[in-house]
Amino acid sequence: MDKVNNSNDNAGKIKLNTLPHAKDLKWPMLWWIGMEKLYRTLPWKKTAWTCAAFPIEMMWIYDIFPDHPENMATVAAARKQSQRLIEHAESMGFSRDLCSYCKTNIGAYDTQIKKTLGGISKPDIVVCTNAICDTHWKWFQIMADKMNVPFFMFDIPKWVSGTDEKTLEGNIDYVVDQFYDLMVFVEKHTGKKMNEKRLYNVLDRSMELSDLWREIFEHRKAVPSPYSGAETSAAFFPLVVLPGVQVGVNFFKKILADIKNLTAKGEGTMPKGKEKYRVMWEGIPFWYRMRFMYDLAQYGAVIAFEPYTYSFAPEKKKCLTMEETLRHVAKLIMDTPYAYNLERRIENFEKWIDEYKLDGVILHENMSCRPSSAGMVDLAEAIMRDKGIPVLILQCDMNDPRAYSEGQIKTRVEGFIELMEANKK
Amino acid sequence: MKKLAYFDSSHEMPLEIIIAAGFTPYKILGDVHQSNDPADKYLSSFFCPAARSWLTEALAHSKEWAGIIFAQGCNSTNRHYDVWKVHVETPFLHWFGAPLLDNAAAKKYYRVELQRLISHLENQFGIKITPEKIGEAISKSNEIKKKLQQLSAFRALKDIPNRNYLAAVIKCLTYPVDEVSVWLDAEIKAWNSKPAFPSGKKRFLLTGSDITYVEWMDTLDDCGIRVVRDDLSVGERFFATLIPDKSDPLDALIEYYMNIPKPATRPTIQKRLDYLYKALGETKVDGVLSQNVKFCEPFAYDSVPVNNALKAKGYKVIHLERDFSPAADQQLANRLAAFVEMMEVGNNG
Repeated sequence: MDKVNNSNDNAGKIKLNTLPHAKDLKWPMLWWIGMEKLYRTLPWKKTAWTCAAFPIEMMWIYDIFPDHPENMATVAAARKQSQRLIEHAESMGFSRDLCSYCKTNIGAYDTQIKKTLGGISKPDIVVCTNAICDTHWKWFQIMADKMNVPFFMFDIPKWVSGTDEKTLEGNIDYVVDQFYDLMVFVEKHTGKKMNEKRLYNVLDRSMELSDLWREIFEHRKAVPSPYSGAETSAAFFPLVVLPGVQVGVNFFKKILADIKNLTAKGEGTMPKGKEKYRVMWEGIPFWYRMRFMYDLAQYGAVIAFEPYTYSFAPEKKKCLTMEETLRHVAKLIMDTPYAYNLERRIENFEKWIDEYKLDGVILHENMSCRPSSAGMVDLAEAIMRDKGIPVLILQCDMNDPRAYSEGQIKTRVEGFIELMEANKK
Repeated sequence: MKKLAYFDSSHEMPLEIIIAAGFTPYKILGDVHQSNDPADKYLSSFFCPAARSWLTEALAHSKEWAGIIFAQGCNSTNRHYDVWKVHVETPFLHWFGAPLLDNAAAKKYYRVELQRLISHLENQFGIKITPEKIGEAISKSNEIKKKLQQLSAFRALKDIPNRNYLAAVIKCLTYPVDEVSVWLDAEIKAWNSKPAFPSGKKRFLLTGSDITYVEWMDTLDDCGIRVVRDDLSVGERFFATLIPDKSDPLDALIEYYMNIPKPATRPTIQKRLDYLYKALGETKVDGVLSQNVKFCEPFAYDSVPVNNALKAKGYKVIHLERDFSPAADQQLANRLAAFVEMMEVGNNG
């Protein structure tokens, strides 16, 4: 198989062009870091640990700073610290088979590693859901016990294949009841009360942030692709911890303007004429090896769509009452694309393959995320059968570099590129 | 009476509804002697081998069952349901969303899910599951639990091989209740007439992932370990408490299932420890064996804080990870034997 430039030297390397305002990501990041310092300094301010699929907005509504162990675990991986932190957690007795985010966090907390390397401080409360996985609540409960911090978990019913509307309504009722339990919990442990006016303000900004990201994704349908998964994997940071905060909105507006400008000129993230294969990446990236996504460019491949970052920007609607708001948010928690059941996953993947004009799909069978990895064989078979494009299942790990074998992965990727090439003929 | 099979990683399935519907509840436990190749076509090898074995069993035997019910259990139960929905042939497949919590909101939701299960069974099989039928099923279920409590108590007093206890519990989870009830009467008599607890064996409490095949119990026996207490789902969790007597049988089921000894799949760790402390207070043991089947995440998470808590209380704890295999693992056996030997010389740290 030929690389596009068929050269290993840097001079011939194809580089993805990053957007002009990509570097402005530093502003929401600095804002977040600064806010944490402020919240930890002022005695009336409070902090929490939260997780993916937890309605982070609830924390901003309560004026509680939402720290994010998963986010910090990715920082540790990007800074090449995750392996030693994971091994530290394993030395404490945690099995090699357990989630690498969890073990990175346990190692980071236990070794008191610096914040810039992925460290994290003790919060006032720990709140989480099991919407994505049970690991979240097991992990957060263990850490809450260890830190002697109050713990709250949302028990999110599972939206399995074939769930009917009536069952779904019953599931929503259960989650809404737990919102009221959360309000009692927060007031008891922080003294803070629900402020409805603030709730609507935060949710309006959260909706705006989601809408902007979804609009960005609309423009990602353009050929050539203006914005690859290599960039979105970092740029979606505001959706993780800043939904409901203006600084994220400002950043996404600049990104959207850049993309519109690029697509208006018919240009993409790859140099003109170099985009050959448009690929979907499913799953969490290899945070310790983000270069992987950039290296795909050498084969003329670009990650044109990834459900993972899209998951963080569900379609939100403006609600007029507290009850309506809570029901809407409850449904959103259950409806994250990352946790779609197999039937909905196949249906949506096939829709996205058409919309984004994809030539192939890479499924990250993540040993740290069994819920995400289950059903991947069926998903792959359905895509190949219904859409006639190749699918590559890569078994690896999001945060544990020990699972990553450079040579093996390269060989498999090159085979996948060959299949996409053959499929185009 | 036809079997209605259920997928349950612990003891979350309200069996009494199945009994009231006129079926034999059949807990799918897989067969460790069969290759998992059929299931491995759909699930990677880093998924729980027990759950993969259950899928293998279902692929071969689902047509013998009236249907299959999944009870929300551990991390991937809902994902397994999706895969089974595609590949396992069955006329009746139901998802029972057993809540993880046990507060007022969870109790309300539990009732919704019970009613949804009852309606689905009634519509599918053209039957009526009345409160009276559920009440009768509760009585039968309690009868089995009481007899198992009696049987289980012999473990610390008599010479009862580990495999006999596990085989008895498995029989109670897979055979018709009336048949099992008669069989248990005979077993109680037989166990009562056994010789006294053998002097060469050590009394252990067994905790961690479930054990579904007798060969692992034989390995423990061979290492001088007698399991006299446990908190397993194929074990004491199934019969430790009785279903309370209430005017509304659904209330009784809700109260029962939310108050059984907690597995690692349900919060909180403290509640799980509470049962372990209670068992250890009731029965004097020489040590605690914490064992984890490979890739069983919930118990792997718990093992660190649970074992540390037990050690802090002065209990002698050994933790090990085992494969899902009937073959004796000599390395594990050596570790266990060494642990027992160290106990004998009083040098176990």
